[in-house]
Amino acid sequence: MIEADSVWYSYSDKAVLKGASLSIGNGITVLVGPNGAGKTTLLKVMAGIYRPDSGRVFIDEEDLWACPPPRRVELRRRVVYVHEKPIVLRGSVFFNVCYGLMLRGLDREEVRRRALEVMEKLGIKALAWKNARELSAGQAQLMVLARALAVEPKYLLLDEPLANLDKENRELVLGLLEVLKSKGLGVGVATHDKLLALRIADKIALMEEGRVVVEGSPRDLKDYL
Amino acid sequence: MSFMEEVVEIAFRSLAVSGLATLMASIWSIPLAAVLTHSKSRFCRTVLDVLNAMIGVPTVLIGLLLYLLLSRTGPLGIFNLLYTPLAISFGQAILITPLLISLAAEHLGRVRESVSELALSLGATRVQMATTVIREAGPQLVSTALVAFNRAIGELGVALMVGGDIRRFTRVMTTAIALEVEKGEFELALALGGILLFITILVTVAVRAFGRVR
Repeated sequence: MIEADSVWYSYSDKAVLKGASLSIGNGITVLVGPNGAGKTTLLKVMAGIYRPDSGRVFIDEEDLWACPPPRRVELRRRVVYVHEKPIVLRGSVFFNVCYGLMLRGLDREEVRRRALEVMEKLGIKALAWKNARELSAGQAQLMVLARALAVEPKYLLLDEPLANLDKENRELVLGLLEVLKSKGLGVGVATHDKLLALRIADKIALMEEGRVVVEGSPRDLKDYL
Repeated sequence: MSFMEEVVEIAFRSLAVSGLATLMASIWSIPLAAVLTHSKSRFCRTVLDVLNAMIGVPTVLIGLLLYLLLSRTGPLGIFNLLYTPLAISFGQAILITPLLISLAAEHLGRVRESVSELALSLGATRVQMATTVIREAGPQLVSTALVAFNRAIGELGVALMVGGDIRRFTRVMTTAIALEVEKGEFELALALGGILLFITILVTVAVRAFGRVR
């Protein structure tokens, strides 16, 4: 389980998170709230990308920022955060999908096998040798998802994962989330789409002004949304 | 020595001297630019502002300072570097350092923000993160080095003051052109000017090509 405990975070002098607490365990936890509520920042803090100004982040019950740096890297490798706007590295689609695997020092054959396997699942194997910066927004979104899944994380944090996808690919990704959930993966999704939250979530957390104001099952929160 | 041999020798010396200057300056400037962009402290921002302001420092001023440093009675006089090709390389390296740091910092800063987040999100160590940022900024850094090389090969003040324009030893294209014009020998000056222009255009084309790499 990933837990954020009374987390504060500021950009320059502007506090974006003001004591936010949330836990993401098995199943799909959807974070909903208006723009600027702090959803993205909270996910980045929970992924260990940002260090909170105060408060703590636990990954599988270990305090991330109290660990020595090598242990922190090990803990961070259990979590993958996928940005709303796909970040594409210079090179082919295949290289991009392999990147996370290469960071883990896996052997070349294993990297290749896992990358091709996940690309096949997401229907982008035919794009493998295409320049990644020439992909459409939807293709790029699938590529970054493939890059995240290739490393087989224990927790997957997705920021507006359906933002650039057409109807067909939305269904593909939603189906994939169900599969991941059934495999016991913990998924955190930030979105402002309340209908999506009601459709896929096992747990919904509503954020406002840097805090999680209420959380519960979709049934419990239906009236809030 | 024939006219052609002399032209070729001077051209190759210029390329070697300015190439070495660019290499030396890149070795210290690019890591320094990475450090300055990584830190968000006020001190680092001030250093970058000062370096930006120093891009336009007159080459003769740097030549004069280096002359004082390298002359026999100067603090670095014991190395006997004055009037050697190495002194010119060293001087040109100092001349292009602010330009290299400013441009590299700009490119690295642009790449760093998004790429370092991506690297961290996929479990990179700090070293892996830095390597990824440099890899992503690679073509722009090469293009920056080429811009600096163009500045170095085209400068006159440093080459004249610390090189001394010694025939078959420290004479480079710019000092040779100045000397030949002074003597009224326009043939050699024009030949060297043509080569200098060709190199400058070639490098500019390469800079644009690297800038377009996606």
